[in-house]
Amino acid sequence: MSAPAWGIVAVFETPAEILRAAEAVRDAGYRRFDVHTPFPVHHMDRAMGLRDTRLPWVILGMAVLGCATAVGLQGWAMGKGYPFILSGKPLFSLPAFVPIIFELTVLFAAFGAVFGMLAFNRLPALYHPLFKNRPFSRVARDGFFIVIESSDEKFKAEDVRKLFESLGAKEIEDVHD
Amino acid sequence: MRTAPVGLRIGAPAFAKPGAIAAFIAVGCSGMIFGSGQFFESLLVVFAFLASISLGALIFVMINHVVGTTWSIVVRRLAEHLMMNIVYVAVLAVPVMCGIHHLYDWSHPELVTGDAVLTFKAPYLNVPFFIGRTAFYFIVWSALAIALFRHSIKQDGDGSIGHVESMVKISAPGIAIYALTQTFAAFDWIMSVEPHWYSTIFGIYYFAGSFLAINASLAVIVIYLRSRGSLNGTVTVEHDHDLGKYIFAFVVFWTYIAFSQYMLIWYANIPEETVWFRVRWDGSWKWVSLALVFGHFVIPFFALMSRYMKRNPRVLLAGAVWMLVMHYVDVFWLIRPAFSHGAARLVAADMTSVIGFGGAYVALFFHRLARYPLVPEKDPRLAASVAFENH
Amino acid sequence: MGLTAGHPVEDAVTPAPLVLGSNDFGSVTDRVCEINEWKTPRAWYVAFGIALTLLGVLLAMVSYLVLAGLGVWGLNMPIAWGFAIVNFVFWVGIAHAGTLISAILFLFRQHWRTSINRWAEAMTVFAVCCAGLFPGIHVGRMWLAYWLFPIPNQMKMWPNFRSPLLWDVFAVGTYATVSVMFWYVGMLPDLSSLRDRAKTKMRKILYGVFSLGWRGSARHWHVYERAYLILAALATPLVLSVHSVVSFDFATSVIPGWHTTIFPPYFVAGAIFSGFGMVLTLIVPSRTMFKLEDFVTKRHLENMCKIILATGSMVGYAYLVEFFIAWYSGNMYERYTFINRAMGPYWWAYWIMVTCNVITPQLFWFKKVRTNLVGMWILSIFVNIGMWFERFVIVVTSLHRDYLPGSWDYYSPTWVDMMTLVGSFGLFFTLFLLFIRFIPIIAASEVKGVLPQAKPHGGHE
Repeated sequence: MSAPAWGIVAVFETPAEILRAAEAVRDAGYRRFDVHTPFPVHHMDRAMGLRDTRLPWVILGMAVLGCATAVGLQGWAMGKGYPFILSGKPLFSLPAFVPIIFELTVLFAAFGAVFGMLAFNRLPALYHPLFKNRPFSRVARDGFFIVIESSDEKFKAEDVRKLFESLGAKEIEDVHD
Repeated sequence: MRTAPVGLRIGAPAFAKPGAIAAFIAVGCSGMIFGSGQFFESLLVVFAFLASISLGALIFVMINHVVGTTWSIVVRRLAEHLMMNIVYVAVLAVPVMCGIHHLYDWSHPELVTGDAVLTFKAPYLNVPFFIGRTAFYFIVWSALAIALFRHSIKQDGDGSIGHVESMVKISAPGIAIYALTQTFAAFDWIMSVEPHWYSTIFGIYYFAGSFLAINASLAVIVIYLRSRGSLNGTVTVEHDHDLGKYIFAFVVFWTYIAFSQYMLIWYANIPEETVWFRVRWDGSWKWVSLALVFGHFVIPFFALMSRYMKRNPRVLLAGAVWMLVMHYVDVFWLIRPAFSHGAARLVAADMTSVIGFGGAYVALFFHRLARYPLVPEKDPRLAASVAFENH
Repeated sequence: MGLTAGHPVEDAVTPAPLVLGSNDFGSVTDRVCEINEWKTPRAWYVAFGIALTLLGVLLAMVSYLVLAGLGVWGLNMPIAWGFAIVNFVFWVGIAHAGTLISAILFLFRQHWRTSINRWAEAMTVFAVCCAGLFPGIHVGRMWLAYWLFPIPNQMKMWPNFRSPLLWDVFAVGTYATVSVMFWYVGMLPDLSSLRDRAKTKMRKILYGVFSLGWRGSARHWHVYERAYLILAALATPLVLSVHSVVSFDFATSVIPGWHTTIFPPYFVAGAIFSGFGMVLTLIVPSRTMFKLEDFVTKRHLENMCKIILATGSMVGYAYLVEFFIAWYSGNMYERYTFINRAMGPYWWAYWIMVTCNVITPQLFWFKKVRTNLVGMWILSIFVNIGMWFERFVIVVTSLHRDYLPGSWDYYSPTWVDMMTLVGSFGLFFTLFLLFIRFIPIIAASEVKGVLPQAKPHGGHE
């Protein structure tokens, strides 16, 4: 090995294998590792020891913001900005404001969900060291990958390789940045 | 595949013995000492409330058969007993029919002749046809309930897949029949208390409340039974979670229907329609209306939103009991303003009716519960249902 | 679940498997992506040519409308709402199946949705495009359509937030935005498949950019799944709200036949009904054309037929309740309106509506019909026709009999009305054919999730 690798990637063939591998890597004490699968594998979050995402709070915040925006916009526009009595309704007609309050709450919350998800995942990320790895192009098809980054405190190339071998990895390769 | 624990049974609690049931009925009937007016008005509310739970159970069972859900198998027997209580509710309909002249203005010929609208409606709103329709609804519902229950019990013996097929075959047309009969029952029993008023959504409004009530009832029952040591490991937190989701969803659905009805009538502002809401905003009825807005929507909506709340039995129990109380308030709010304009009054007969007739309903449920296994023990999907997990 | 593993028998308690044949993870991706990678078939060019021609017709009609004015349509008092609103409601309704399949069936854990949700979502987005067109051109001076939005302007005017027409702008706008996001987010993993398989530079760049660098990281999936679930939970009430708001356009008025409280849920049921009708219309031929029988199985089609039966019956329920209450109300205007619908000058439209929406779908009670491709396809066309006529009946019959008998009129569309409707199908099919060509039409990553092999504990779920 000449240049220090960015990490070491191992290839597995089935969801069961990758789940077991993820548990083993977690138990071995690695922190900077990731699993790549073509579809979300059940219980992988538990196997990897992932903490619950805070995304729901972001979405809740956005929902409150959307609700407040709708109340403010309608209340102000009808009450102060352009106060006209139309079809005999009071200037501030809550029943008539409900549909738009609902729509903007949902719209803002949905923005929170989508853009929050992208932000938490640091996407878009058009470059990633793994993209240069040849077997990795199978990731969206049928490949199950686990990668430990060399920046992990416990990272020692031989240990990592040995661990992957003991878990029955089909291929083990260095990944360079 | 884990196997389901078999032989799940409980004994009948003391209040579920025939003598106790008779005592409950006696308490219910004792409301008559407060005068027939109070008694019939209170009775109609309790009747419509209890009917909504049994009707909710009937549609709950039929929908789950047709859709083929797995999670609901473990609570199916509980729902089936509530469904079978429709026979008891049919008995309760007898005193309601006796109070027809007190409850329904259109049953007085002298009022009808002086009123063009009521005269026009007389071919529909008249005493013999009304009683005939109510009898017809109960015959249809009881027939459906008994047919479904019979297959379910037979399945306990032989575990045959044929019973599942039969129950699906009964349920599919059953849902269609149910939709029509339940709608017209809501028009008859509740809407025609104010016979000039009409709303096409009314049947769905009653359905929304009743489906909410059945899910809340099931949540209360499973949590209670687990506290008594039954159903542990069979009805798990995963099933609680699903019941909680349905309670939450139908809190929202009820609100959607209630808001649609209110907003459209408010917006169009046609006097013959708005009067109904006007009456419910006069005097202390305003507070009941506001109690529904907050107690039937705002508070449970926020309380039951999170996953944690639905998976915590204590919170779920509190939420389910709360929703049952609010559902009673809702039925009360639909019926009673017609009898006491300007002032919402909870009368003494309300207490006796709720304790007596409601108590008999609960006691009958437990009486039935003790006679059969708590779950359909030979349903081929039971093991999968027990092992069910949310994701 | 998991009962199906290794037991491809179907009975009352073991449903047929969702994916047939000997498919594994790899073959699912191959089969789905090949459709985008094969040489474009000649049939596609033919279809695209027809669609483009119709789109040209639409453009011509809209141009003519702008140049000549709204008089080229058949509108005249008292029928101020004609084809434009009928078409608008028709297309919005079709747009409902997509989010229903994606969101509601997702929440109900109906795993069979995975093979059809992408189509349905695409259809949703395109149908919303068609729907949005009609109010846009109906406002007359369409270059001022931005007045619909609350944008600060030099006149210091604000739109009327108490008007249901403005609620529509927000509801349809929100629905379009959320549907596009839902569609796109669900597509990310499959776009990354296409990126990884891309042979040409162009495809590499385009799929690379649009897949946003998705790399199947479990840390990403973790957040992604949560986001998708919440998005589904948000889209579910949204889908109910959109057609409810559309129904408010009618129901907040005081016009007999329009003002009735059942409208919101009834419109929603009708929308789902029409949406599933259109999904079936598109999916039955496409399934054969692209040989997708392994993914869109008889079970999928049968389930869709059942939903059509259920929602069609709900619509029938609403017709019945409306009719009954019109009589029960004792209100002579209500009564007249409904009798006039069934027996007045537009009796034919009414009976087309009842036949196609309530009567013919009852054939789906029979398993033979639910499993017959030709039969279900024909019935799905009936659904589309019936639901278009439903909106026609609602809009036109209620308006053509004003309170003042002197203004009574008979509305008939002009050739411009007709050709605009036909042209809107051009817009829809143009977009749909582009979708089939360039976007994975089946959510491959989700289909893999329902394969028996996907369970890490081998069916002990």
